[in-house]
Amino acid sequence: MKPQDKVKINKLHTGVPGLDEIVGGGLPEFSFNIIAGAPGSGKTTLAHQFVFANATAERPALYFTVLGESAIKMLRYQQQYSFFDSAKLPDSIRFINLSQVVLEKDLGAVLEQITKEVEKANPAVVVVDSFRTMVRKPDSDMDLQSFIQRLALFLASWQATTFLIGEYAEDELRDNPIFTVADGLFWLRQTAERNSVVRKLQIIKLRGQDSVPGLHTFRITDAGVQAFSRTFGLSAHKRNPPGDRRLSFGVPELDKMLDGGVPEGDSVLVAGSSGTGKSVLATQFIAEGIRQGEPGIVAVFEERPEAYAERATSLGLDLEAPQKDGKLTILYLRPLDLSVDETMHSILDAVQKIGAKRLVIDSLAGFEMALSPGFRADFRESLYRMIYALTGIGVTILSTVEVDESFTEFPFSTYSISFLCDDILRLRYVSIDGQLRKIMVVIKMRGGNHAKDIREYEITSKGVVILGKRMANYQGLISGIPVHTDQPDPKEETPREPRTGKKR
Amino acid sequence: MMTTHLKTRDLARCLLAYEAAEDNTSEPSESVTLRVYEKLRQGLCEFAGVAGFQSLASRALVLARTEAPSLIAVRVATDGTLHGLGEFEHQMHVDNNRAGESPAGEGGFILIACLLSMLLIMLGEGATQSLLRAMWPEAALNNYNSANGRSA
Repeated sequence: MKPQDKVKINKLHTGVPGLDEIVGGGLPEFSFNIIAGAPGSGKTTLAHQFVFANATAERPALYFTVLGESAIKMLRYQQQYSFFDSAKLPDSIRFINLSQVVLEKDLGAVLEQITKEVEKANPAVVVVDSFRTMVRKPDSDMDLQSFIQRLALFLASWQATTFLIGEYAEDELRDNPIFTVADGLFWLRQTAERNSVVRKLQIIKLRGQDSVPGLHTFRITDAGVQAFSRTFGLSAHKRNPPGDRRLSFGVPELDKMLDGGVPEGDSVLVAGSSGTGKSVLATQFIAEGIRQGEPGIVAVFEERPEAYAERATSLGLDLEAPQKDGKLTILYLRPLDLSVDETMHSILDAVQKIGAKRLVIDSLAGFEMALSPGFRADFRESLYRMIYALTGIGVTILSTVEVDESFTEFPFSTYSISFLCDDILRLRYVSIDGQLRKIMVVIKMRGGNHAKDIREYEITSKGVVILGKRMANYQGLISGIPVHTDQPDPKEETPREPRTGKKR
Repeated sequence: MMTTHLKTRDLARCLLAYEAAEDNTSEPSESVTLRVYEKLRQGLCEFAGVAGFQSLASRALVLARTEAPSLIAVRVATDGTLHGLGEFEHQMHVDNNRAGESPAGEGGFILIACLLSMLLIMLGEGATQSLLRAMWPEAALNNYNSANGRSA
């Protein structure tokens, strides 16, 4: 069959930020869907958002309420959400209570009542909330399977997109006819993880189009349900291969060590113990980007944006003006039950808003602490997804990570995430001549021929300044307790071959 | 003591005035209050269910009785219908003609105002107005204090 001969299924805006992307661009029109989950998981709110986004006076929504939450109280609470528009009642959205017919009659009468109302209103959207309470009647003349089958057929014939809302446990997924008939099955979960509550959404089934598999975090705010796709809303975006450019740190000697700078679109890890200047270097990286016309984002978890900007000022770097000019956003992300997906959403919003080219995450330890305990277990996997998504749209990421200083080993990070990074810059203390001095070395650079030199540096009023030549007169520098040797002054090592562009 | 806000009373008055103006037959008709109540019952039963409406109406009646004790004979049935208001209003009418006291139908008016007041408390003005507009599509409910509630 030629593509043009296939029926085109319209995709309806779900009204839930982030959900359209998860369901593959929107909800299939005329689909018969189930929203399942435990009480309080956000089922009704999600349905309301869809209803308010799609109902019109010409093609209204019929919202059937059954036993359970009182319709008056439901409306009382739902109107607290910003999407609720009372002007849409009752021409575009009609609430119809079926409690009486459910209580006094059988499923056949319920179907008859729904049929009557649908034929009268010709709705675009039909919701039955809660469907579960309706089908609990054991003495019904009509069996459940037949009822669901007929309801689904009828509503599809009337070209209505339908949601049945039910409180189901996950072990009910098997052998339940409702799940077989449904075109779409949305499962909402909320679990307590130590002191935090984590909400997740799964599209278990969606006929006719590709949805993003897996569990997606969601949050319920004053604006209603907001979903955060595991692909961070970037699955629809083409990966944007970065160019051959090298991004300067604003520290000339360091740029030389990096064979001209950080390859654009790389993920750089700056690792070091406390006080080694990771944040200073990160600030210089972002400030240099702004100086070169590359907007930047700094995501801070351990200090407030004002303090971050003040510290930059003490290094002679102005982060105030770029913020006012829309060239820089300092994001302070520190609620204690964040998911990586929500953090990513904030970062992506900021990236898209100012067209950021550079991103600093300062620091990964702070980032991890800001996450809900339940998300910390997935931190590495989440970081992988985040870095992949951001570098895929051409953003160069610099993350700082604190490592415990050890005089027996030379760790790069406590997260075993070095494989996620294209480039690693290690800062550390060394004991030399009765002083605690600082050295840096480029450990890894995936796309370039970096210097192997171990260089001493200082943090001055101008930021990180690399001193002299490589420290050839010492052995065992990376142990932190080097031994002095009598070798002639070395020449600075340079990459052996000229850089020929970025290799991936 | 007034159990309802003045604005709510205006809204009740507006609905009663609208229904009274609709009654252009010369035949004896049922109480205007009952007609307003019945429209509210039908509209709200569809939205909130019979039990939901019955609870609201029963509570409204209890509140109204504090202001109009003679509503003691009025009852809300399990299906939400109102019983005893016609007789009450007839008796009030006879008494008023005799004694020149408060106008006939005052108790019914208070009951309607109490019912509207409960809706406003539970749903807020926007949603209440939207629901009422469906029951009285021709009435100008945004101008509560208009003479007969008719839209221009």
